[in-house]
Amino acid sequence: MKMGRLENRVAIVTGAGQGIGRAIALGMAREGASIFIADINAANAATVKQEITAQGGRAGALCSDISEEQSVRAMVDVALKEFQRIDILVNNAGMFPTSPVEEMQEEEWDRVIGTNLVGTFLCSKAVVPHLLAQRSGRIISLTSGRAFQGAKNGAHYAASKAGIIGFSKSLALELAPHGITVNVLCPGITDTSQPRGHQTEEQIYSQGQRIPLGRIGQPEDLVGPTIFLASDAARFITGQTILANGGGIMW
Amino acid sequence: MEKKVAVVNGGAGGIGRAVVRRLGEAGYALFILDKNEQAGGETLEELRQQGYQADYHVVELTNAAEIKTLFAAIQREAGRIDLLVNLAGGTLHKHPVQEFPLAEWIEVLNVNLKATFLCCQAVCKLMRERKAGVIINTSSNFGITGGAGRTAYAASKAAVIAFTKSLALEMAPHGVRVNAIAPGLTATARVMGGYDKAEWQRRARQIPMGRAAHPSDIAEGVAFLASDDAGYTTGQTLHVNGGMIFN
Repeated sequence: MKMGRLENRVAIVTGAGQGIGRAIALGMAREGASIFIADINAANAATVKQEITAQGGRAGALCSDISEEQSVRAMVDVALKEFQRIDILVNNAGMFPTSPVEEMQEEEWDRVIGTNLVGTFLCSKAVVPHLLAQRSGRIISLTSGRAFQGAKNGAHYAASKAGIIGFSKSLALELAPHGITVNVLCPGITDTSQPRGHQTEEQIYSQGQRIPLGRIGQPEDLVGPTIFLASDAARFITGQTILANGGGIMW
Repeated sequence: MEKKVAVVNGGAGGIGRAVVRRLGEAGYALFILDKNEQAGGETLEELRQQGYQADYHVVELTNAAEIKTLFAAIQREAGRIDLLVNLAGGTLHKHPVQEFPLAEWIEVLNVNLKATFLCCQAVCKLMRERKAGVIINTSSNFGITGGAGRTAYAASKAAVIAFTKSLALEMAPHGVRVNAIAPGLTATARVMGGYDKAEWQRRARQIPMGRAAHPSDIAEGVAFLASDDAGYTTGQTLHVNGGMIFN
């Protein structure tokens, strides 16, 4: 059997219970990585764990809230207990409610920043000591085209996703001397539950017409770039944002 | 009030003072918000000596209720707000990420990002109703490049850019422009205090134009974005950095 590109690696994937996170978890498992699924929805996390096990992979799962420091610590502790090490963190979990700024409640602002941006900080902070100790590791965080273009009625989401890029560049500088890379992955509009909160099916799919590659993204489109960034092949790439969006934004 | 009215948050700081001076020169009546009362008083005195119309309010910019009340009072007094410049902020805390206390990380986000959101929110209804207005937020080269030890500051300053673009999209149909200014290394007392003299000179020399920005360089950028010269410009970030970074 062909060796996977992530053989003997352990990866934590947040928000891996559905959508892009699930696809990344399944894809990295196929490359030989042990996957720790952290999701706020315990049932979804358990289902994905089962899917990975069913395809012959190794997986653990825990109901986690990345906006809570205690929950993040528990996530790392349980992952370490189960797999003895952590090599890769994929910061994928996030949320996208909508309100115009004028009516936006402070509580909603805090919740979106607290999950998407502060959650990415907390998960990164929690794994960094382990990556430093082994002088290797990968952190990959998901941003959005909204970080570049803004989001009408999603100012908090756009701010949080741009914040992830600024954060990641800084962390890349901090960790570069230790052989640890930090990169950002940017999907375009993707066929998941996320856009379905505020767009009709027709609106979602019709956007494929203005994407150079002629279709909206599928969760699987993010798997290859993630595996690449997580693998030895990308050892000299850090602080970068990789866009996998059919050319929807060229930045 | 006949004159155009500008509210400058952080208007008594190193860059802020140059900005309010320049906006006074451009004919604005000024409302300066700053938490430093001594600097606020000095700035006010200087502006009035120059014959500019100016007022000063001390404000805690992370207190949403206080901001709302203050902007409502300014609106009542002035009858109009034509320009909001959000300059307040700073690095505040520098730590490696694994040692960065959550409370300090959030404080940096609150001062640089959340205060910008709250001040914008406080003026957007009025500007939309008047179908006119300009908002200028402050980003930084660190929002593009990141900075070791500055995970919070860089995140907040990158976030300001995307926030600005989003608000620009929301306000464009109503005749309100929203842009950001991104200073590079700038010669203020606070920034220079962070380096010894030799290190400061070395850093300034590394900049393509061979010097750090003077606060007045930034003020000129703000004045441009505020003016009708920039009437077709919205959602943009103006980098004033002597070629330090390109974006």
